[in-house]
Amino acid sequence: MPGVAQIFGQIVLYALFFVPLAYITHSPTHQYLPDDMAVLKIAIRHAGKIIGECTPLTGAEYDKLAANMKRPELCPRERSPLKLTLLLDGEALYRDTIPASGLHRDGVSSMYQRFVLPAGPHHLQLFMNDDASAEGNTWELDQNIELLPTQVMVAQFREGFVLQ
Amino acid sequence: MKTLLKKGFNQLDNLFSLAFTPQWNPMYQLGALSFFYFWVVAATGVYLFIFFETSISGAHTSLEQITHGQWYIGGVMRSFHRYASAAMGICMTLHMLREFALDRYSGVRWFSWVSGIPLLWLLFASAIGGYWLVWDIQAQYIAQLTAQWFDWLPIMVDPMAGNFLNESALSDRFFSLLVFLHIGIPLTLLLGMFIHIKRITGARNNPARGLAAGTLGAMLVVSLWQPALSQAPANLDVAVTEVGLDWIFLNPYTLIDSWGPGQTWALLVGLSTALTLLPWLPSRREKPTPVAVVDPDNCNGCGWCLADCPYDAVTMKEHDYKKGHQQSVVNPDLCISCGICAGACPSSSPFRHVDELTTGISIPGFHIKDLLTLTEKKLHALKGSNRIMVYGCDHGSVVDKLTSDSVATISMPCTALVPPAFIDYVLRKELAEGVMISGCCEGDCYYRLGNTWMDQRFSNERMPPLRTRVPREKIRVRWLGEQGTGQLVREVAEFQTELAAGAPLPIEEVS
Ligand code: HEM
Repeated sequence: MPGVAQIFGQIVLYALFFVPLAYITHSPTHQYLPDDMAVLKIAIRHAGKIIGECTPLTGAEYDKLAANMKRPELCPRERSPLKLTLLLDGEALYRDTIPASGLHRDGVSSMYQRFVLPAGPHHLQLFMNDDASAEGNTWELDQNIELLPTQVMVAQFREGFVLQ
Repeated sequence: MKTLLKKGFNQLDNLFSLAFTPQWNPMYQLGALSFFYFWVVAATGVYLFIFFETSISGAHTSLEQITHGQWYIGGVMRSFHRYASAAMGICMTLHMLREFALDRYSGVRWFSWVSGIPLLWLLFASAIGGYWLVWDIQAQYIAQLTAQWFDWLPIMVDPMAGNFLNESALSDRFFSLLVFLHIGIPLTLLLGMFIHIKRITGARNNPARGLAAGTLGAMLVVSLWQPALSQAPANLDVAVTEVGLDWIFLNPYTLIDSWGPGQTWALLVGLSTALTLLPWLPSRREKPTPVAVVDPDNCNGCGWCLADCPYDAVTMKEHDYKKGHQQSVVNPDLCISCGICAGACPSSSPFRHVDELTTGISIPGFHIKDLLTLTEKKLHALKGSNRIMVYGCDHGSVVDKLTSDSVATISMPCTALVPPAFIDYVLRKELAEGVMISGCCEGDCYYRLGNTWMDQRFSNERMPPLRTRVPREKIRVRWLGEQGTGQLVREVAEFQTELAAGAPLPIEEVS
């Protein structure tokens, strides 16, 4: 049987282990973002235009195809990458080219970026080209926004840019 | 660094042994405690799961109900679930550091060491997954940064962050996946824990009962005093600013935030790789002696060495030439060269009528024959009265410091290498008046079981026993460890005084 001093020692050691443990499972707090900032998230998931046109097959080309692969024209699969630019108050926050996914570059292009911005009024411009055959931007958005402190604003693309 | 760590652990060991006794010393059972906390977390997790609602809208509310609506049981279960996980995290980390500091990670032990590393990842992943399910602002912080961390990997085609853009992007499907992971990862952890101890004979995976009861009691008090609580519910339309964090498991998240995901991957993967390679890095440690060798002529197939090997390195097979007999076989990949098998072998008796002492199993670096020669040589050289033979080990109290003209000392890999018959021999042949056995701290043998087996051989609970005819008052068994060398010096002097007085205290009263 442990003596009184030993029991006391055990209580002290248990306390020294569990009290700091209970404390550090939730404290001290961590300031992740300053209180006066807002967040702008931009998440685009969009399939670019297919590069090139379908071309009709000649008789000889058609005959060469296996029976289960016969089709009247040959269509390319590769999709245009997205060229995306985000300007905030006239300055480029983001500018990148997002390739289509997949081995044959025939899937959607996906991107996500998050920006921490000071709350207040801003001028937001989004430009995107999703068609390699077209010059300049095929989509754009130009809008004055008012970001509240800690607000999360999301820009997405659903047949046009949408802000939420 | 290792020496410093070792010193620190020695101090802690002593402190805890004082309050808890060596049998309950938590420092000697950090792995077992980690197992114990796992079971506590699993049991309380089952309870919480019954009342937990697996949906985005229900998770936080149902946990609030568990915490406040049934604080006396659900709240306590939740607190146990959290605090036992945290305790497991701390015990596991201390366990790893201790095995490192005390040089218990290389050689044959590589398997336990390497298999321990995935357990670190799995425990962290289990705990982080648990905090995610609470779906409060800490969970929102976790979701945000986990997505940022994983999205950095080139394998991520669709950014994971897309699931947590804002409230309208959230789906219960992702939440179901989280629940699935929070059950699957801990189960994988459990499997990993069993693999981790697979190569260890009779691994200690249950702590001493008194320690288990004490830790449960302490957790109950803390749970009632500081119940585990949720923070404000998550709202993806509002950015997380000030957030309370679990600093045991969420440390890596502050790194992701301040260093960026790439550097965090590099650090954590780099650290894990370095830890994995550690057992093979050159060190100043002595080269291990060659593995145990079986001599079929002297092996009678009794199996005592098999019963005593701490690393399952001995098996039995059909005897090479004696029909119907068995013989021991040593697996060189598992043998740690401790010599405990030689101490267990009934052929290791110096009373045998043979020209030269041989035995059934022995380690080449420290053959039983050498032990006998050394014992006789050293004892014959003693001049003083009250002569004492001290057998010690290379990992415990430093016995060389005790050598004098009346004290002979021999240090070997493990004291359990000394067959009990040797003690009988020394006293019966009056080569010395007393025998002192020393080694690692009680319950903390460098080869896991040496001092336990030795105690059991002396109390006739284990083969080969120390014969009852041997006067126990002429023997002292002191497991004091390296840090107890000073105390051992004093105790040897006391032992000699008592031997001189002719009325030494019985061994039980001393220890
Ligand atoms: C969930 C976490 C862990 C649990 C539950 C656990 C449990 C255990 C147990 C029960 C033992 C046997 C102790 C004995 O009977 O002698 C052991 C041994 C060992 N553990 Fe762990 N362990 C964990 C994590 C780790 C980690 C992270 C490492 C290091 C990377 C590690 C390294 C070792 C080593 C080297 C041994 C062998 C000691 C020896 O042979 O003397 N363990 N562990």
